[in-house]
Amino acid sequence: MANVGKITKLLVKVVGSDRVSDKHFDLIPYGRDLSPAKEKLPTHVVMPKSREEIQGILKIANMHDVPIYIRGGGTSHWDAFLAQEPGIMLDLSFLNAIVEINERDLTATVQPNCTWAKLDFELRKQGLTYLCSEAGGPAMTIGGSVMKGGGGPHGTAKFGFHGNQDIITLEMVLPNGEVVETGSAAWPSAGKFKRQCLGPDLAGLFIGAEGILGICTELTLRIRPATDFKERLLATMDSLDKVIEFGHFINRHVGDEYLQGAYLWVDPSAPDVFLLMMDVFGYEKEIIEHRKERVIEKVKELGGVFGDSEPANGYFDGILTGLTDIFATGVWHFFGSGSLRIDDIGVIYKIWREELIEKRGYTKAGFGGNFLPRDWLAFMVTNYKEPEESEMIMKLADEINELVLSGPVVPYGIGGREGLRPIVEARNTGYYRLLKVIKKAVDPKNILQRGIFIPKEELL
Amino acid sequence: MRIEEYAEMIYACGRCEFCRGFDFNERCPEIFTQKWESSTARGRMLIARALLEGKLEYTEDLAERIFGCFLCARCKEECKKAAQIDIVEITKAMRADFVDHGVKIPEAGNEMASLAMEKGNIFGDSPAFHAKWAEGLEFKKGSGILFYPGCLASHRFKEKTRILVQLLQAAGYDLDFLGDEQTCCGTPLWITGNMAEAKKMVSAQLKKMQNRGVKVIITPCPSCFRAFDEEYPRILGVEKLPIKVRHTSEVLEEIVEKKKIKLKHKVKKRVTYHDPCEIGRYRDIYEPPRKVLNAIPGLEFVEMSRKEAESFCCGGGGGVKLMYPDYSRAVSRERLTDVLATGSEIVATICPACEMNLTHATYEADAAIRVLDVAELMAVSAGLVDEEILDPYYIPDD
Repeated sequence: MANVGKITKLLVKVVGSDRVSDKHFDLIPYGRDLSPAKEKLPTHVVMPKSREEIQGILKIANMHDVPIYIRGGGTSHWDAFLAQEPGIMLDLSFLNAIVEINERDLTATVQPNCTWAKLDFELRKQGLTYLCSEAGGPAMTIGGSVMKGGGGPHGTAKFGFHGNQDIITLEMVLPNGEVVETGSAAWPSAGKFKRQCLGPDLAGLFIGAEGILGICTELTLRIRPATDFKERLLATMDSLDKVIEFGHFINRHVGDEYLQGAYLWVDPSAPDVFLLMMDVFGYEKEIIEHRKERVIEKVKELGGVFGDSEPANGYFDGILTGLTDIFATGVWHFFGSGSLRIDDIGVIYKIWREELIEKRGYTKAGFGGNFLPRDWLAFMVTNYKEPEESEMIMKLADEINELVLSGPVVPYGIGGREGLRPIVEARNTGYYRLLKVIKKAVDPKNILQRGIFIPKEELL
Repeated sequence: MRIEEYAEMIYACGRCEFCRGFDFNERCPEIFTQKWESSTARGRMLIARALLEGKLEYTEDLAERIFGCFLCARCKEECKKAAQIDIVEITKAMRADFVDHGVKIPEAGNEMASLAMEKGNIFGDSPAFHAKWAEGLEFKKGSGILFYPGCLASHRFKEKTRILVQLLQAAGYDLDFLGDEQTCCGTPLWITGNMAEAKKMVSAQLKKMQNRGVKVIITPCPSCFRAFDEEYPRILGVEKLPIKVRHTSEVLEEIVEKKKIKLKHKVKKRVTYHDPCEIGRYRDIYEPPRKVLNAIPGLEFVEMSRKEAESFCCGGGGGVKLMYPDYSRAVSRERLTDVLATGSEIVATICPACEMNLTHATYEADAAIRVLDVAELMAVSAGLVDEEILDPYYIPDD
């Protein structure tokens, strides 16, 4: 392991003494994420303000074989950004500017730690908004969401995960310090307006890679006019088959979906009650009204019952400002999650009900899912007490993850050794082997996110 | 360790980062000034957890993260949505742990606490100087209604305090005043963690007031108000003090509602209002000062973008103004940008600490804007004071 004091001195030369710390109390806040993963401390935290400073930090890391871990808003789960071994925590907090809002091209260029809330606040002043986001609250960063290929309840029923429609170009600093741009930005005399051009879509290489291939320093996103009208609905159904039929209905008109957000929730205390919260999409009142009527007709046809829509308002309105009462009964953990076909949701539901509730007797986790264009993001989520329940929850989650991912479910949010990494490694797919080849090519010393997604030993 | 009492809350932090907000300058003045993750409430809960688990010790260089908190409760407000953690009380317990463990805290904090104990005020002035603001005013000893200005109002805002008393007296309140016997309420002790002498001081203060027949305390200072109303009972282990404690925001509202004074002169000014943290977020007192301002004829009231529970600190909280003056100045400058964005000629507030910090910010920025107590605007409208005090370049008789 490199000498901590020596690395501190070198980092100070790059960014100055006021943006580097190796003090224990400054490192502790980077030791945990939003999961029960064990504390993992970095040796340094450094807060760069430019890509040039990042290049300087990478040079030190490569020269002294010190891994770098990338930190956005710190709202990730699954051991995704924690220092898997002693290394530098690259806190990108200062790279949070809105570089440009182009109202004509409907693009916004931002630095990675610009939060969704900050961008939306500025966009709304011009009657604009973004396409989709997770429910990570006010500190959730755009770079963090995109680099982990996140998805959530807002806009995703129409636009899908980050990277599906909303990312146009990326500026990435590679582990060797070289700066590359993707999409139309790869052609210096053009501009930032198009994702797929020139050749292979290299943005797709970085989106969802959880930072193992490069550090994002700028992104250009698709934006859109804000909708002036909104309708939120809440309904319950009495069977999952009916929910599945409803799922097919709302996004069968591919590209012209009825909803921009649809969230399913099943409480463990009532496993046969399927609650749906819906955010109707449209730019004109007539369109909204029409869609609302069609959704109501379909829900009623399926035997659903409508209720007070206020919880749906609270849910969809709270995505950026923060959902309420989230830790009222303990801290969170998401598990048993992933992407799957609309028809396959029953597989996860069955595991939740039979394996988790009935067989293991764990009755505190709910079951949920977000509709995406032609698929689901489904999950289980529980509140638990730290520290006494942490180990039990991790063990339980590991067992359930293994069961879920043995089925028709694609993992999402891979993370480190306490995330889904061991499961991905064990499958040893061709995809995984190619990813390792690419990782070795762009990061021969395994500097970036060492131990995240791919174990260190796999890259020797 | 005192933080053991809060272990359950400390472990309840889900690390959601609502406390941090969407930009450095958006909600927390500590992350705005210090920038480190360890200066967020979430970071502090992990630090507290490490202290509880014996993985970290209180050290002198940790002090900046704990004593650099403005205790503005903005994080606590956000945490109402998430885990209901009382971050302010945990921070105060951490400060007290520093002192209990003999770890050096910022010198200015200790000085403030020492002066409050030894001299009876945080400025170390003599008792005669302490009461100088009251020269020429008449008080009614033993009336039962004690006017308690507190250190800042006595020492830095003599004219404002005189005007406030004139207004209260014109409205019919028979005020008593301790004069040379007035001493600091004790807030400097608990915000710097110096709790060893707190109970003795609080008991003596209460005895002095009871001996004088005090039934009601009226104070313009939110810290003094909360000291008597919250900290004294807590330190003494009683549910309530035998004395009713009223902040002037409530009293001024009463004057307006009961028409105890006639607001006859128009105050043709565009005025915004800054919510003091200690009566706003701490006590949900948002409406009374606004009611008063809206009752003043001619006054055009405009809100700042950050207001009420989402108001940004003035930079004067938590003892930071003394312990880390550069941070305090940076926060007051940031708050002034909110004020200036409203196009107001006057920013009204109802806390001497806020008035001082915002006044300093206007001086530093050479902004043509006057910082006034709500009572001063009322006094102008009531014809008790000349409207010259509304002028941005007016020099008070302090």
